[in-house]
Amino acid sequence: MTITVNGQKRDVQSSADTPLLYVLRNELDVMSPQFGCGLAQCGACSVLVDGKEVRSCVTPVSSATGKEVTTIEGLPARWAKQKGLSGADAEKTLHPVQQAWIEEQTPLCGYCQSGMMIKATELLEKTAKPSDSEIKAAFTTSGPSAHLCRCGSYYAIVEAVRLASTIMAGGAK
Amino acid sequence: MKNSVETTNILGAQLSRRGFVKAGGALFVGFTLLDSKNAQGAVAKNSLDPSQFQSWVEIHADNTVILHTGKCDFGQSSLYTAYRQIIADELEIPFESITAVIGGDTDRTPDGGGTFDLLGRGVMPLRKAAAYTREAMLELAAQRFGVAKDKLTIKAGVISGGGKTVTYGELVKDQNLKLSIPVAGDLTTMFGLTVEGDPPLKPVSKYEVIGKSYRNSVIPAKVTAKEKWVTDVKLSGMWHARIVHPATLGSKLITAGQVDKTKFPNAQVVVKGNLLGVVAPTEWEAIQASRQVAAATKWSEWKGLPGQPNLFRYFRQDADWKSTSVSRSQKSGGDAASAVASAKKKHSATYEMPFMKHAPIGPTMALADYKADGTVTVHTHNQNPQALRGQLALMLGVPVDQVIVRLYSGPGHYGRSNGGNAGAEDEAVLLSKELGRPVRVQWMRGEDFQWSTQSPAGYSDVQIGLDANNKISAYTIDHYMPAMQDDRPVGAILAGLPTMPAPTPGGQRLANTVNGNSDPWVYDGVLNLEERAHGTYEVGQRESPLGVGLRDHSMRTPGQFQQNFPREVALSEAAALAGADPIQFRLDHTKDERLTNILQRLRAESGWQTRSAPNPKASTTGNAPVRGQGVSVMFRSGSYWACAAQIAVTPASGAIAVEKITMVVDPGVVVNPLQLKRQVEGGSMMGTSIALYEQVEFDESGVTTKDWRSYPILKMADMPEIKVVIVNRPEVGVYGQGSEAANALAAPAIAAAFFDATGKPARNLPLRPDYVKTLLKA
Repeated sequence: MTITVNGQKRDVQSSADTPLLYVLRNELDVMSPQFGCGLAQCGACSVLVDGKEVRSCVTPVSSATGKEVTTIEGLPARWAKQKGLSGADAEKTLHPVQQAWIEEQTPLCGYCQSGMMIKATELLEKTAKPSDSEIKAAFTTSGPSAHLCRCGSYYAIVEAVRLASTIMAGGAK
Repeated sequence: MKNSVETTNILGAQLSRRGFVKAGGALFVGFTLLDSKNAQGAVAKNSLDPSQFQSWVEIHADNTVILHTGKCDFGQSSLYTAYRQIIADELEIPFESITAVIGGDTDRTPDGGGTFDLLGRGVMPLRKAAAYTREAMLELAAQRFGVAKDKLTIKAGVISGGGKTVTYGELVKDQNLKLSIPVAGDLTTMFGLTVEGDPPLKPVSKYEVIGKSYRNSVIPAKVTAKEKWVTDVKLSGMWHARIVHPATLGSKLITAGQVDKTKFPNAQVVVKGNLLGVVAPTEWEAIQASRQVAAATKWSEWKGLPGQPNLFRYFRQDADWKSTSVSRSQKSGGDAASAVASAKKKHSATYEMPFMKHAPIGPTMALADYKADGTVTVHTHNQNPQALRGQLALMLGVPVDQVIVRLYSGPGHYGRSNGGNAGAEDEAVLLSKELGRPVRVQWMRGEDFQWSTQSPAGYSDVQIGLDANNKISAYTIDHYMPAMQDDRPVGAILAGLPTMPAPTPGGQRLANTVNGNSDPWVYDGVLNLEERAHGTYEVGQRESPLGVGLRDHSMRTPGQFQQNFPREVALSEAAALAGADPIQFRLDHTKDERLTNILQRLRAESGWQTRSAPNPKASTTGNAPVRGQGVSVMFRSGSYWACAAQIAVTPASGAIAVEKITMVVDPGVVVNPLQLKRQVEGGSMMGTSIALYEQVEFDESGVTTKDWRSYPILKMADMPEIKVVIVNRPEVGVYGQGSEAANALAAPAIAAAFFDATGKPARNLPLRPDYVKTLLKA
């Protein structure tokens, strides 16, 4: 099998029924999606598949063949491509979601935040200027389950999504 | 041997403790220049010599500095922000000079101790070591310049005097310096080592780095996938394991299932006593094979728990509260019993708090590499790696110097491992030893709910008497809670290997059933006061053939949450009985200036309506939301906290919306306002979650809570608006604490707000809709 991860075609040896999470982490060394529940109940393992947030812990790798998988390792390149950045500019530019997450000092323990940033990216690619209620709905009701943070960083996430929206629209950090 | 008496508030009344010098022990005598390292030779292999300043503060010739501390980061940010700020100020160097903070690794840090009270006792060893180091640098410069030490000045790592200047880097370049720092304590206990003596600490008025909102240096790595998490560690030849835990908390293994080799050709079963592991070269094979083996495994049956619905009846009627000595609080005095009996008005009630889970977002995980020479390295995420090291050495029957624990970022688990294990570490070691290869044990979601420790349930009986002036004439409270701190590694128990003892009434320190009064009394206007804390065995501990039962462990504000909730909700109810505004009622019972100040700030900042509860618009029926306000306060680790909750209750559905939480905190010296604000926001969310949702379900055999549906926590759409007000009181001279206390305040404020909104007291948690509807019908 071959899957495309963060723009690169990757050969996969794991069996077809292996959850994408274990293929990414254990076989392909793409470490940002985390194991949280294995039940699609928390969002720690979220990745984008063709731009849509999915739970890699319950997604067989076979269902990702022929599709584009994006993790936070691939967010800077995704943004560079969307903005037409190249060369040195692309190298040094983080995705606005990442910039905002740093600027707002959003993570506490941070274990859930890879999935949170994936959800934020999905949201902002569809809705450039989400309202607070749209942000809350995206992280609560839009997917297989709410994205859970045990440390309680929800408020900081909302602030970071607002800031990322501003940065994506060309506003200052 | 030199005795040292330690005090702590983490365990309530078990306040006075003695430790013994195990390392160092020399008195500080300035500094000496020696040409041999480790001249004292008193330090175990694979440890840093805590009597040497370089073990704490590594100064490089280029003026960069690396700090070493046994404490760990769990998302508090303290190691990367507050610790750097405190030590930069103490050393008189710029914040940026500290290029790294090494936390936790047992072979790369000197002191150990659990990750709690981080800015109090946690930072003090490093801070004192830094102060000793600064004094030694001054001494070195004095010698070099031929100028008296007290004529020197330091600014930004440069020492000046007699017209000359020298940097720290120049002073240490090509030197082999020895500075003997006096150390006491026991490295592998919960409290670790302390640095003794009284080096001159920098006065608060001279702080330059403390008080500024520095960024958390680990965040960029975490948001760009460059951080190495515990989950990311891979070793050559590593296999994956899943544990097949017993069918109940008292089940013994009858027959271990066999691997179906036609499906899982590489998987193996490892059995040690009642510990059953399934290992395989790939994680997916290990997971699938463990499910197949679990289905084929036979366990003995056991029913010995009361079951959650019967818990409080069990506590009242069956639990043994008599064998454990009762702790009376220090502030208790007067004749509360008589004063209650003769009171004009009386509030008498019982408050109940359920078992709760730390519930880390990632289940516990550890990777062990047991070598043929009998040494083992464990890669994990733990709040007290030195204590874990001690526990693993005890389990294996080897000296501690054969065990190394390496720390990585991981999911926060809020106190669960401050005594040295979170689960899985011991199992990884045993499986690695058995297989002769590195083994990675990852608990699944269900196991993390069903086999981890929990925050103990408890109940409190309160009586408050009011006098003719509607002031409190007497207050009595009896707190009942099982033993709170069980640090036995569960895999070692299952394998039948040595562990520290289970908690008993006469047990050793940290293994007894005595509960202290954790929540310091702040209402000094109450003259007749009786506060008592009762303890007993853990539920099912003695009944389980495994000796397991519902193991408990401290969570954030251990014991203090369980005592503060009944106290604060009862005070709000007493205020109503007095016809008084609940903030004013508290103000009327204290002369404490800091408490008075934050309560006044809370009233001003929260949009508080000054009036008695219940709200004149209170209702118990209808589809229209009714609104209420509630207040709570806490004093913890030198910090004063006040919280106001504004909520809306929809009587018909029983739904509670927490609309706003206002938190006022006076921690004394504010080290980093930005990071403190984020911690308080986070704690407020977790506190709201506890108030509304959280309860461990269990039947007669074990915990039935198994996932995020059976253990719901707060979701983003349900979060309150949060306002954090930080009161800087540098003259107080202590650094307060972060979100751990914020976590405890929301529930009593929300319960009080429920009473305000509906006129019905809410005395049990959680405030789920079914319970709310029951309350409204009462």
